[in-house]
Amino acid sequence: MFNISRRTFNGLMGAAGALTMAGGLSACSGGAKVVVIGGGFGGATAAKYLKRYDPSLDVTLIDADKTHFTCPFSNTILGGMNDMAYIERKFDVLVNKHGVKVYTDLVVAIDGAAKVVKTKSGQTFAYDRLIVSPGIDFKWNAIPGYDEAASHIMPHAWKAGPQTVLLKKQLEAMPAGGLVVISAPGNPFRCPPGPYERASLIAAYLKKHKPKSKLLILDSKDAFAKDKLFKEGWEKLYDDIIEWVPAAKNGKVTKVDAKAGVVETDFEKFKPAVANIIPPQTAGKIAIDAGLADKSGFCPVNPLTFESTLVKDVHVIGDSSIAGEMPKSGYSASSQAKITAAAVVALLKGEKPGEFSAINTCYSLLAADYGISVAGVFSIQDGKIANIKGAGGVSPMGANYQFRKKEADFAVGWYQSVCQDSWA
Amino acid sequence: MRGIPTTLALCLAFGLAILPAAAKAADPVAVMADACSGCHGTDGHSIGGMPAFSGKNADELKKFLRDYKSGAREATVMDRIAKGYSVEQLDAIAAYFASRKK
Repeated sequence: MFNISRRTFNGLMGAAGALTMAGGLSACSGGAKVVVIGGGFGGATAAKYLKRYDPSLDVTLIDADKTHFTCPFSNTILGGMNDMAYIERKFDVLVNKHGVKVYTDLVVAIDGAAKVVKTKSGQTFAYDRLIVSPGIDFKWNAIPGYDEAASHIMPHAWKAGPQTVLLKKQLEAMPAGGLVVISAPGNPFRCPPGPYERASLIAAYLKKHKPKSKLLILDSKDAFAKDKLFKEGWEKLYDDIIEWVPAAKNGKVTKVDAKAGVVETDFEKFKPAVANIIPPQTAGKIAIDAGLADKSGFCPVNPLTFESTLVKDVHVIGDSSIAGEMPKSGYSASSQAKITAAAVVALLKGEKPGEFSAINTCYSLLAADYGISVAGVFSIQDGKIANIKGAGGVSPMGANYQFRKKEADFAVGWYQSVCQDSWA
Repeated sequence: MRGIPTTLALCLAFGLAILPAAAKAADPVAVMADACSGCHGTDGHSIGGMPAFSGKNADELKKFLRDYKSGAREATVMDRIAKGYSVEQLDAIAAYFASRKK
């Protein structure tokens, strides 16, 4: 199917070639090719909304995997609340309902000059505009001893999928009264409240299935997202289970020996039953290989369009992008994807991109009936994406059971909606 | 460079009028309102526990949003979000969702 339409396409392009000199006829963007790399919240939403804003576009989404496991709600699997199928997203609705072409393949190169991407299987895809949404990759050995091989013994589980399953199995296999260690990275990283939601839901699991166990969060920071709310909840729910050790109290993990099962800080050595090491992160590998990242390891973009400031006609969204005060979250990626889709449609027609307006909402569960949230509304201020003052912020401290329960229920509703909006 | 011949090819091949194809994208209200869909579903068709907008008329939605902004209506999160918009913007968002397909 694809090859035939492509050949037809090339033929038409040839026939029309001579006429392009006439110029000025830019209002019809029909058939312009947009390629999207990555089928997570950013990529899937971008593909869907490109077709929504301009059905005549030729939109191709390429993801290395046949399905996508979402990081949001992956902690509920560790907590024993859901199974892997709950967080598995398929691409069939994007194909059948929205007319997106989806390929399972790994993009190995982006040629920004020729405007072509190349895949591992040897396919090439030409684009008029490219949207890159590859999520994150890891700085292996930034924690000495923690490389990819070590992650198969001490999982990061910071990309959902087999790593989530591995960590879950380790939790199930550990003895009661055992120690779980979570190593939390310094900023910036994917999902700032994520390690602390994870600690909460693992603690919920330990409380029920592994009595007298402890969970130690060894942190590279002295503060974290929604920290007051987490601490308030932990005191209520997991006072005898969770201990958070900030950087100032030597919480930073400085060395790992996965084979020996040892996690070290400057002053202490731990031999936990389960170690979850969340290492420092960079933009997705393809973004780095394509020269889209700066020295920070993430990708600078024009905040109005998310077009790379380093490679023309290439847009970077989601966790890989440097998006000012927008956190690296699934909702942020999805919100950025819509802005980018609208901007790409406008730019392909030779029009000015529209106005910027973005939201992030992010729920964290401390238990099945205990939820907290952070929200932000964003605009461009002094050339950077920033929180609109007076809006956003976190859930109130000291709220009653009903309020926390309501937010836990909204967390589930949030997940169902944001997945529907991205993949269905 | 590639975009122009591609554009022309299709416009010519299918005899399309050279007109803006989908005016929605240029509409700043659509971009502003679509940011809400992450929680409330595409076009407000929430499938889960989040309130859906479908079936609500513009005045109803306007009142909700204005009351969240002013604090007249209790909320868990919508008070924090509504404060990020002017009353005019909230009214435009309400009108947008009321006008979407049921």
